[in-house]
Amino acid sequence: MGSQTAARTLPQRQARQRSWVRREGFGLVALVLLVIGIIGPISTVLLWSFAEQWRYPALFPTRWGVSYWAETLSRADIRQALPTSFIATLLVTLLSALICFPASYAFARLRFRGRQVLLLSYLITNALPRFGLYVSIAVVFFRLNLIGTLAGVVLIQLLNTLLLMIWIPTSAFQGVDRALEEAALDVGASPLRVFVQITLPQVYPALAAALLLTLVGTFYETYGALLIGVPRVLTIPVIMFPLINNQPVPQYGAILSLILFAPSTLLLVFANRLLRGGYLTAGLGV
Amino acid sequence: MARLELIDLHKRFGDVTAVQSINLTVADGEFLCILGPSGCGKSTALRMIAGFENPTGGDILIDGASVVAMDANQRPTAMVFQKFTLWPHMRVYDNIAFGLRLRKLPRKEIDKKVDDALELVGLPTYGKRFPSQLSGGEQQRVALARALVLEPKILLLDEPFSSLDALLRVRLREELHRIQRQTRITAIFVTHDQEEALSLADRIAVMSKGNVEQLDRPSTIYANPQTLFVADFIGTMNLLPATASDGHLVIGAEHGYTLPAPQGVLHPGQVTVAIRPEDFAFSSAPEPGMWPGEIEQVIDLGHYRKALLTAAGLGTLKVYLPKSREFQEGEVLGVKPVRYLVYHETGSPVEVQLGPPVPVS
Repeated sequence: MGSQTAARTLPQRQARQRSWVRREGFGLVALVLLVIGIIGPISTVLLWSFAEQWRYPALFPTRWGVSYWAETLSRADIRQALPTSFIATLLVTLLSALICFPASYAFARLRFRGRQVLLLSYLITNALPRFGLYVSIAVVFFRLNLIGTLAGVVLIQLLNTLLLMIWIPTSAFQGVDRALEEAALDVGASPLRVFVQITLPQVYPALAAALLLTLVGTFYETYGALLIGVPRVLTIPVIMFPLINNQPVPQYGAILSLILFAPSTLLLVFANRLLRGGYLTAGLGV
Repeated sequence: MARLELIDLHKRFGDVTAVQSINLTVADGEFLCILGPSGCGKSTALRMIAGFENPTGGDILIDGASVVAMDANQRPTAMVFQKFTLWPHMRVYDNIAFGLRLRKLPRKEIDKKVDDALELVGLPTYGKRFPSQLSGGEQQRVALARALVLEPKILLLDEPFSSLDALLRVRLREELHRIQRQTRITAIFVTHDQEEALSLADRIAVMSKGNVEQLDRPSTIYANPQTLFVADFIGTMNLLPATASDGHLVIGAEHGYTLPAPQGVLHPGQVTVAIRPEDFAFSSAPEPGMWPGEIEQVIDLGHYRKALLTAAGLGTLKVYLPKSREFQEGEVLGVKPVRYLVYHETGSPVEVQLGPPVPVS
């Protein structure tokens, strides 16, 4: 009896496995392709950065080493560009927060004429072909002697951040129930305390999400920095252009990519812990 | 524990008058309900007392001192809101302790007060929970604790139970009644639910279109509504247009139904007769002097029975019928009011009692 059952269940199990493969097959293939698509380029970059010699058709580098790392990091232009990039990014994010957060609070709370138009106008910088916009701004900056200055780079990058830094916090501030604030006023809190202890905690995830996206986005911003900063103020992404274009040395590109990759990865890991998942998307209103 | 006076309190929003003029006094320890349909200005009145709206004119006195110049965060009032307003990022304990910490009380005292407040609202072990872990009823209890813990002079409640389901609403209403009696706090409760007002209040202020129509004890409001609005708004009422002449009120002229007019009070003219559904005497067959009415619908409401009768010339009458016998739809009964109120153009309504009250059920 028992052996009969076993005899019957074995083909059944196989049949079930076959149907599982058929059902999930497409998903599996998609997953594998996705992994190759994401991991592939990153691993190539990683491999190239530690390759001293990689001849076709070898699957892996033919000679390993870190000499290109030493060479890249000791280059004067890169040593200059790294701090420039960090300073510009931090300045842009800080200024953007100082300008945009109060503005978005006003957008959320005040009803004034032209509010909707003004709010939509931030979309314009993103709707136009960016390079065209930058060129015309560059003309103005040229007259103001801002070309080649850190202030110029910061200003043009600031422009980029406005949309995110105003739209996300505005919707977050709008989402705060006024009754929560009234309840705090009612038990005796001052308006400032209400803002700090009641309103801010409600919008904090959204503000953090906006800040994070701005930090990462600004660090990689290339066109504005290229057009306004060159030749005196160079950020890392700007340095990458000639390095990759002029010299057929893939190691430079790979190492710089990894350097650029590091801060955003660190930030995302930090953010992931800080925001305990879900908050980032909540801030974006997804 | 305090006395509250509103003196000619009014509020306009642009061209819209939200509150026309309120004059009333709430005694120490009294439970006052402000009752009215939505848009009558009751919430605006409450928000002016709390300090969330500035009055256009008039004065608000608490224990004889004007509080109009004070901001909301300085007034000795505490409010329970209609919406759930517990701060979601704070635990129940911190929600209740928030106001106490602002007052810089020692930690031990805060602990004690928060525990007592949670005990009072029947949630002694809930301090560590977050608001999202509480049901709607529990959240409103905590909101009540948060208001009471500050020992305000006046407790303000703005339809606090309106977002809860019917059963829970009744439970919390009873709970609130107990707590108010226990603490003897002066309380003002705004609601559009007359049952809530009738069961909670020491006195009810019925509001309509920015005015207080009547301010009285619940039983008086029900038995002797001073205006047609109150008569129509509180409970169920049959309102019948009538003409006064020669000591009689003629209702439904072509059918010649009459009722005795109140003695020597009325001039000839148009009046309105208001009859409660429980104030009808009835007989199985129309007798002389009774109004014949055909039963259109019988609604069984548990301990009593409501019927809609169609009477020629009178429209539909709402009548309560006893449960001691069955009634068929289409059956013709004779009905006659034994008690009614007559509303005329000038002065307050006049009550007419023709016989003993009709026992219901």
